[in-house]
Amino acid sequence: MPADSTCDPVAELPRLGLGLGLRNVHFDHILATWPEVDWFEAISENFMDSGGRPRDVIRRVAERYPVVLHGVSLSIGSTDPLDFDYLRKLKALAAEVQAAWVSDHLCWTGVLGLNSHDLLPLPLNEETLRHVAGRVRQVQDVLERPLILENPSTYLTFNHSTLAEPDFLRQLACDTGCGLLLDVNNVYVTCFNAALDPVAYVESFPCERVVQMHLAGHQHCGTHIIDTHDRPVLPEVWELYRLAWKRTGGASTLLEWDGNIPSFEVCHRELLKAKRYMADHFAPAESGAEDGAGEESISNPVDFLLPEVMASTVPEER
Amino acid sequence: MSDPPPLDALEAWMQSALIRPQRRTGEEAARIIEPSPQLSPAQRLAIYQRGYYLRLLKCMEEQFPALRHALGDELFRDFARQYLEARPPERYTLYDLGRRFPAYLEETRPDAEKAVGDREPWIDFMVDLARFERRLFVMFDAPGNEGKPFATAADADGRLRLQPCFALGEYRFPVETYYLRVRQGDDPPLPPCRRSLVALVRKDYRTRVFPLTPAHYLFLAALRKGESVGEALARVARQTSTPHDEVERSWSAPGGIRRRWIEAGFFVAAG
Repeated sequence: MPADSTCDPVAELPRLGLGLGLRNVHFDHILATWPEVDWFEAISENFMDSGGRPRDVIRRVAERYPVVLHGVSLSIGSTDPLDFDYLRKLKALAAEVQAAWVSDHLCWTGVLGLNSHDLLPLPLNEETLRHVAGRVRQVQDVLERPLILENPSTYLTFNHSTLAEPDFLRQLACDTGCGLLLDVNNVYVTCFNAALDPVAYVESFPCERVVQMHLAGHQHCGTHIIDTHDRPVLPEVWELYRLAWKRTGGASTLLEWDGNIPSFEVCHRELLKAKRYMADHFAPAESGAEDGAGEESISNPVDFLLPEVMASTVPEER
Repeated sequence: MSDPPPLDALEAWMQSALIRPQRRTGEEAARIIEPSPQLSPAQRLAIYQRGYYLRLLKCMEEQFPALRHALGDELFRDFARQYLEARPPERYTLYDLGRRFPAYLEETRPDAEKAVGDREPWIDFMVDLARFERRLFVMFDAPGNEGKPFATAADADGRLRLQPCFALGEYRFPVETYYLRVRQGDDPPLPPCRRSLVALVRKDYRTRVFPLTPAHYLFLAALRKGESVGEALARVARQTSTPHDEVERSWSAPGGIRRRWIEAGFFVAAG
């Protein structure tokens, strides 16, 4: 499915506005208040096998809001075979909630039958490009829709990488017709860790293929930055977002907050700061983020994916 | 520059470095990973190595909160870390992460060589508590009967079937009491050895814990195997040497378990 400007499914995808991640800790608030949020992004793996409350919640949310599915275990860069059982479940969930699109990361999560539950980096070269492009085509054939791939946060680069990440993603999108999710915070994290210029990264990114953007907080550890999603967006990332907003022509934007998750209202207020960066002349938002080093937090936290089972377990009522 | 490793070899190497970070990987890392201005290749790899276990251990804590309370943070982390090294996660869903943990604790107990009667009771308790928590975790997201009708007291016994999100548990200790006290924020002592039988029933997305007598357990186990209410009551009478009419009364008398269990959502009515 090569990119074709005359019939490009990615170009047809809607601009959804400002959205939030659908998180377990916010379920009760969302169902009780139906807050004025433009759209929600749900972690695919959290719902695709669910026969319990999460599945019920996403169905009800999808009746009122646009929903996007965002995966963390597709492992598009792995050399293990693709998991077609996973893909079938993903496709079924996407149909059930009428997902506006389905996204995952340019990464691998495991090989030899294991899953690290981390988003691991790939060497960016022609061999990897051919490998990933072939798998993207397979995934798109199963899902019958374009896959949207996100630039991950990375903490290392490989000696044998020959392509810059924006160039890799441009070529991948050109070869497969996939769309892109530009995570602005990941750009900042990756560029700091690789001693690259984040502005140059965004300026060279194939923004015409960007369907969605991500914003999140990170932890600066002095020698490196960890992508923690556990605090407000840092001012430097907001400034980068201003540029990305302009270059993508206003792509759908989503705030991720996955560690130390505050109330829904706090997350929503943080998201709405994005409006101040949608025009050149608006003043920067005040950031509540502390950029201190301290003890290293968890990168790509995933424990937010797990439900609070203890809270929903009760003794017999007499 | 040496020839680049094939992608499959590189991924296998990096995954191995995450799971077994104690292996010396400095020279290998330098061949594969670029240094940054501030960090060596091994230091860059170490960010992933630290994150791997921190991330998964946090998830284990979320899945076994009462066991963590019972063992204490340090011991729980030691056991969970050993488990994750021995049984790295396989599936795409984190819900699977703790599936093999209770069996791992049993298999690797330090007194495994001793006769069953000579083993440390506190280890039995920890294994059973892990089994109980795993069962609750699975029930949280299992297919249930929410959104569909449950049986009512007006339904005849012949139509009663156990609902899909139902489980029976048999433990060597009252793990359910311990668990519920931890849930309340208490710090209960480890309970004495006492056989404990429970039913777990999910209704309205809440899992309720019902202590059972041996006769109740026998009855519900028979229903779960597909016996009718009448057959199960007869089995209870036979196996407990109790007069059948007495068993029948304890089931259907006003205030008996029939009404209580129907109201609690144990049953659906067959068509």
